[in-house]
Amino acid sequence: MPEVTADVRIRALDELDLNGIVRIDEKITGIYRPDIWEQRVMFYTRRDPGASQVAESGGKVVGFMLGDCRAGEFGLEEPSGWIERFGIDPDHRGKDLGRRMFDAICAHFKAEGATSVRTLVDRTDEPVAGFLKAIGFGESPLAALERKL
Amino acid sequence: MALKVENVELPKKYHDAVEHWHRHNFKDYELLLKYWDKYFPKDDQFCLCAKMELGTTDVIQIGDFKGQPKKLKPNEMTEEQAKHLLAIIKAQASTEFGSIQQHAGTVDRAPEDEDKFWTMRVMAEELRHGYQMLHLLLSEDWSSVSGGVTGEQMVEEILSMTTGSHVLDAFNLDYDSYTDNVVFAACIDRVGKYQLTMQKVCAYKPMADSMPPMLREEAFHLAAGVIPMRRWAQKAAQGDVFVTMKMMQHAVNKWLPRGMEMFGDERGGDTNVNFGFKDMKNDEASSMYHEEVRKMIRDINTRFIRARFPDYAPDKAEAVLDELERSRGTHQGLAWTDLLRTPDKRFFRRKGVHAFAMVGIDGEVFTDAEEYLRYLALNLNDGYIASRDMKLYAAALRSVASGQKTVAEAMKEMPRLKRVGGSCPCSKGVRWVMEDKDGDQTTVAVRN
Ligand SMILES: CC(C)(COP(=O)(O)OP(=O)(O)OC[C@H]1O[C@@H](n2cnc3c(N)ncnc32)[C@H](O)[C@@H]1OP(=O)(O)O)[C@@H](O)C(=O)NCCC(=O)NCCS
Ligand SMILES: [Fe+2]
Ligand SMILES: [Fe+2]
Repeated sequence: MPEVTADVRIRALDELDLNGIVRIDEKITGIYRPDIWEQRVMFYTRRDPGASQVAESGGKVVGFMLGDCRAGEFGLEEPSGWIERFGIDPDHRGKDLGRRMFDAICAHFKAEGATSVRTLVDRTDEPVAGFLKAIGFGESPLAALERKL
Repeated sequence: MALKVENVELPKKYHDAVEHWHRHNFKDYELLLKYWDKYFPKDDQFCLCAKMELGTTDVIQIGDFKGQPKKLKPNEMTEEQAKHLLAIIKAQASTEFGSIQQHAGTVDRAPEDEDKFWTMRVMAEELRHGYQMLHLLLSEDWSSVSGGVTGEQMVEEILSMTTGSHVLDAFNLDYDSYTDNVVFAACIDRVGKYQLTMQKVCAYKPMADSMPPMLREEAFHLAAGVIPMRRWAQKAAQGDVFVTMKMMQHAVNKWLPRGMEMFGDERGGDTNVNFGFKDMKNDEASSMYHEEVRKMIRDINTRFIRARFPDYAPDKAEAVLDELERSRGTHQGLAWTDLLRTPDKRFFRRKGVHAFAMVGIDGEVFTDAEEYLRYLALNLNDGYIASRDMKLYAAALRSVASGQKTVAEAMKEMPRLKRVGGSCPCSKGVRWVMEDKDGDQTTVAVRN
């Protein structure tokens, strides 16, 4: 187990985490896009409050994982958890924060009656694909398909 | 998606009464439902019902009865406990319905349709919260502690309250513009979040089970306050002449002091904890709240600075903000006072330990009442300055400053944190108003 420092806390997302999330995204992608995150945070806050998680270290948001529990989409009648976006501050990686947020969001999905959790991944993005594999994601009979228009 | 929750409808005549009430007090309710899917696609439909969380603990978590089974009926509590809780429930119901009446006054002035629909969803959820409290009043027999007032009479009195006759000050102030709809959600619904969170432990199980579903909705209310404020800050920084930081500051100045007072006197709160109704005392909770508002304001300021100086890296923007907070000076033409500031805890207070202290937003101390009133006039919006509320406050402040009245006497003159007693069923208009016997300012009411 990586060392878990005492001042790290995983908790549900709230509207005051926006700046922290915007900042992590900017650190990862180099793009400042507060309006997009305002939309996403609003979406998840009303859609499934308590599901999305953040990791806080020394009172600062250093990671986030956004998702919600859905049913009735793509012919999937049973509720399932969906993880859409996540990110860990590059300075705080490798400390199990991604896994701990994942455990917390899954606990919430389970309480909502979900029996599976789903996500989409760009297989060529090795770090993200590697992380998802490490936390237990495997191939699904459902496949994301696309064609160019 | 819903967690494990049971939806409960009131008996038809009460359900109809609430439906009737919203036709008078929330005229666009049907419009909200009609366009729900447009603004909140795939979200669960709105349900006018009480939602009871399932699977919560059966054991009292705090206070004198810690470890005992939670109470399921009013008559399982001591008379004193039951009376106290009845007052909390009724007062909370008052705040829920009260805020709808406030929102209704200015919701149509929302600059964007999206803003308007966000506010209307908040209003609908407040209606549900009020409904939830009516369910608590009606689902069990409170007559032994209500002075003989029936459930029906209690509902009647709650639904007949209007802005001005509600239990807590914050619900008796009219909104002066749509800015108030938004800043109220950011500041006053935040008090609600604290109260609901504290009441999750409530020793009366139906009350405790009511809290989690309400809290989940509260998260949206806070976002419906903070996100528009963030967007306005960005627009203001980019020079939009119709949106200013000053306008938002004036609204924060109007609401934050009332929010602080919703926690009750800083010296109180023991009864709630001893009875097992809440898990924090007033001072602890209101201090945490004040810190959280500070964080909110800092977030909004950061948004402003990034928009004002687009080429600043995030660290630089933070450093500029730190520097302005410290120096209270200027940076590249941007003054500290051009940003939002968190009013000092003692600012513009009329209740509690800081009642009638003459302290400015940044903690500056005034010694002359007239000078302080002039200062307030510059830091509150015009519509509010010209109000009866300000007139009463000014009169009370002057009488304290001149030594004609003690702070305690003046506090009593202000609209009070009232106990909702309901002991006299004969005089409809005021029968629910009953002062706390010792004038104690322990919070008995919340909204969210
Ligand atoms: C991927 C990411 C979330 C990992 O976060 P983290 O906190 O460092 O991960 P954890 O410490 O919790 O690691 C959990 C597991 O994932 C594995 N893992 C983490 N990063 C990995 C990588 N780059 N490659 C392979 N495995 C990885 C860890 O080894 C660990 O597995 P183990 O317990 O079997 O050793 C983080 O690096 C990140 O935010 N990356 C950018 C995310 C992004 O681009 N998001 C956009 C999509 S919305
Ligand atoms: Fe509410
Ligand atoms: Fe609310």
